[in-house]
Amino acid sequence: MTAVVAQAVVNGLLIGGIYALVSIGVTLIFGVVKIVNFAQGEFVMIGMYISYWLATLIRLDPLASLAVSMPALFVCGVFFQKFLLRRVLGLGDMPQIFLTFAISLLLMNVALLLFTADYRTVQTGYTFASLRLGPLYLSVPRVIAFAVAMLLSAALEIFLRTTDLGKAMRAAAQNRDVAMLMGVNPDRVFSVAVGLALALAGAAGSLLMPFYPAYPTVGQQFVLFAFVAVVLGTLGNVRGALIAGLMMGMAESLGVQFVGADSGLIVVFAMLLVTLAVRPGGLYGGQTR
Amino acid sequence: MVALPLAVSNAFALDICIRVFLFAFIGAAWNLLGGYAQQLSLGHAAYFGLGAYTSTLLLIRAGISPWIGMIAGGVVAALASLPIGALCFRLRGPYFAIATIGTAQALMLLFLKFRDFAWGAVGTTIPNLGNSPLMMQFAGKAAYYYLALGLLAAGLAVTYWVERSWLGYYLVAVGEDQHAAEAVGVNVPRIKRDIYLVSAFLTGLAGTFYVQYIYFIDPNTAFSFNVSVEAALVSIVGGIGTPWGPVLGSALLEPASALLQSWLGGGAHAGVQLALYSVILIAVILWRPTGLLGAVTEVYARIIGPARPPASPAGGALRKGVPLDG
Amino acid sequence: MAEALVVRGLSKRFGGLRAVHNLSFAVEEGQTVALIGPNGAGKTTSFNLITGYYRPDAGSALAYGHELVGLYPYDVCARGLARTFQVARPFGRMTVLANVMTGALLRDRRVAAARERARRAIEFVGLTAKEAGLARDLPTIDQRRLEVARALATEPRILLLDEAMAGLNHTEIDQAVGLVRQLARRGLTIVIVEHVMRAIMALAQHIVVLDHGQKIAEGSPKEIAAHPEVIRAYLGSGGYAHS
Repeated sequence: MTAVVAQAVVNGLLIGGIYALVSIGVTLIFGVVKIVNFAQGEFVMIGMYISYWLATLIRLDPLASLAVSMPALFVCGVFFQKFLLRRVLGLGDMPQIFLTFAISLLLMNVALLLFTADYRTVQTGYTFASLRLGPLYLSVPRVIAFAVAMLLSAALEIFLRTTDLGKAMRAAAQNRDVAMLMGVNPDRVFSVAVGLALALAGAAGSLLMPFYPAYPTVGQQFVLFAFVAVVLGTLGNVRGALIAGLMMGMAESLGVQFVGADSGLIVVFAMLLVTLAVRPGGLYGGQTR
Repeated sequence: MVALPLAVSNAFALDICIRVFLFAFIGAAWNLLGGYAQQLSLGHAAYFGLGAYTSTLLLIRAGISPWIGMIAGGVVAALASLPIGALCFRLRGPYFAIATIGTAQALMLLFLKFRDFAWGAVGTTIPNLGNSPLMMQFAGKAAYYYLALGLLAAGLAVTYWVERSWLGYYLVAVGEDQHAAEAVGVNVPRIKRDIYLVSAFLTGLAGTFYVQYIYFIDPNTAFSFNVSVEAALVSIVGGIGTPWGPVLGSALLEPASALLQSWLGGGAHAGVQLALYSVILIAVILWRPTGLLGAVTEVYARIIGPARPPASPAGGALRKGVPLDG
Repeated sequence: MAEALVVRGLSKRFGGLRAVHNLSFAVEEGQTVALIGPNGAGKTTSFNLITGYYRPDAGSALAYGHELVGLYPYDVCARGLARTFQVARPFGRMTVLANVMTGALLRDRRVAAARERARRAIEFVGLTAKEAGLARDLPTIDQRRLEVARALATEPRILLLDEAMAGLNHTEIDQAVGLVRQLARRGLTIVIVEHVMRAIMALAQHIVVLDHGQKIAEGSPKEIAAHPEVIRAYLGSGGYAHS
């Protein structure tokens, strides 16, 4: 019994690394640009298809294709900010929600038209490999995904804490006006922040590819977890999103183990309920009642 | 418009009209909450589905006429909005939208699980009784046309009543600034709850109508994410927070979608339809955030000359068509 | 004279910060009382505690003997306490008239009646010429006027004005002082949070001085002006005296 629980926890922790990458992306965009990006999951999907096609067409290992997916999505992010998000900054909920929501719909459906709804998988030499650690079995591609996810999160944290641009991002997240007074160029800061967030989503996609199928709506699986994780971890807080992402992974895995195979979504909403009970003001609850 | 079915015998054209009315009606229901009070729901499929399942269960399990089932469906949807609202209204803005998506999805999952009680994923056909008006089944499309038109008329009547009463002022105040609204005595939680209830009730009616019209129900149809999207979309494209916005939006989007479908055939249609919808939505948000209704009145004003000052500043649209980025 | 508003032992902490600590004061019916103090002294927090936006950790606020603590802001307003905000919060995309009507609908849900009463409030603050315009297009001073009109339309017995004169020029301050004086003459009980000393001295019969969340003095304008601790804590440091 303890072995079963331990195995579920470990499995959850490993996939939680992916949730953490997606959540950090959402929280980074929210922190700096103040927009909740409904399309974040679709950028994971794009990362998956990039890795899939590189693996299928030129036999590039999905992990090696990180070197393509991350820069490609970084550039996407810069354009996404410059041509779309920038135009709805500060305009209130309606345009912000429905712009990113429409982009999510568009990307999903363009993928459906281009690639059909088929599940596409890439088999690598290590797809089915596993390590044995006492009574536990660790899937090799998941361990790799987790390790790279943690490395990327750490790299982002170091970037935010040590570089001028990173500090500017944190300043912008704290207080827009103060950041402007400090001479922060908001356009550049916003573009880089969105670029980094999308690069993380792309990384998540490439890391998933050795053990997870790509299909047009795959991003939805991850983005819902990310939204709840971001609520859980306090908006705009990178470390909070990381820890909450890992927790979501473990909660889901335990739910699947003990409640049933399709209980993932139920677990997400149970977590959301718990979050709301703990933080009754909700996310924007600056008001203390 | 009333005499149209007599002149048009083309079933395809009538079908398009019925869809225009139906989605204009659902949009009007959404608009009360999402347009006037700016509570942007993306989960109205929950109420559409509850309305559809309530009347169908009553019809098949108990032989109760869908006319009664329709009201019952509206009531069930309205009641369901109370706990759902209690939860979702704790969240603001984008997170409210996400939570509403979640509730609709959760209900769909639930009905997929109800295999014995509600036919699970397989769904069921509505027994065809031929022409039996008492059971909301009609031989031709004309009767459905009038029924959908009647629903839309009711939706518009409710909207006009709301807009011209105290409730309209309170809703727009809530949509503009909840703290400021509370400062002048607006019971914000109660207003949101009440308008959500009305919106859910109307959406439930639409659900019953739809299953009676297509003679089939399953969780994927009844709780279709597309319904949630279209409810918001027709309002935003036409003109959010205006009575005729959803009508204009539906009159543009539904025929476009239907023509696309007949042109492309069934298979590729779903993807193309949503891709088209999302492009239109992006275009409207970037270039016409107040919706096309604003554009229409502007063109009208350019032709006729500047609009007269409104008789009462708050009459007609409470919220004037000012571009959000102005 | 009866006491309109009695605040007793009101306290609120935010994390480690004592925003308001053990604040007590009373406002007699028809009186105008000013809450003054340096930035961060807890004036606006006190308003938020009295009007239900924050829940105090301790203490009570009674309006005509009725407890306000525990009520929601809309119930506080229904009890006859209306407030304005430090930064005006008009309903931007509504017309001026519709803004004020929203306030007027509290006492009478009939739209036509509310429109008439709203027009009277708008006339009182001098915005009649702009009643058909959108609130967001108004200059700052008019947005403040609008907020006062909207609050008045709820027919309050007590009016709480949060820095209604910040950012106004000399002429505008004189106009605003005239307006508040007219309100007081109608018998309204008024509590103002204000930095503009000239306005305070002209309007207030009683002044409560806050510093670091605590009351450090209270009395008539003359007493306050001569109070050594006030001069040290507030007037001396801030340079507000001549603003």
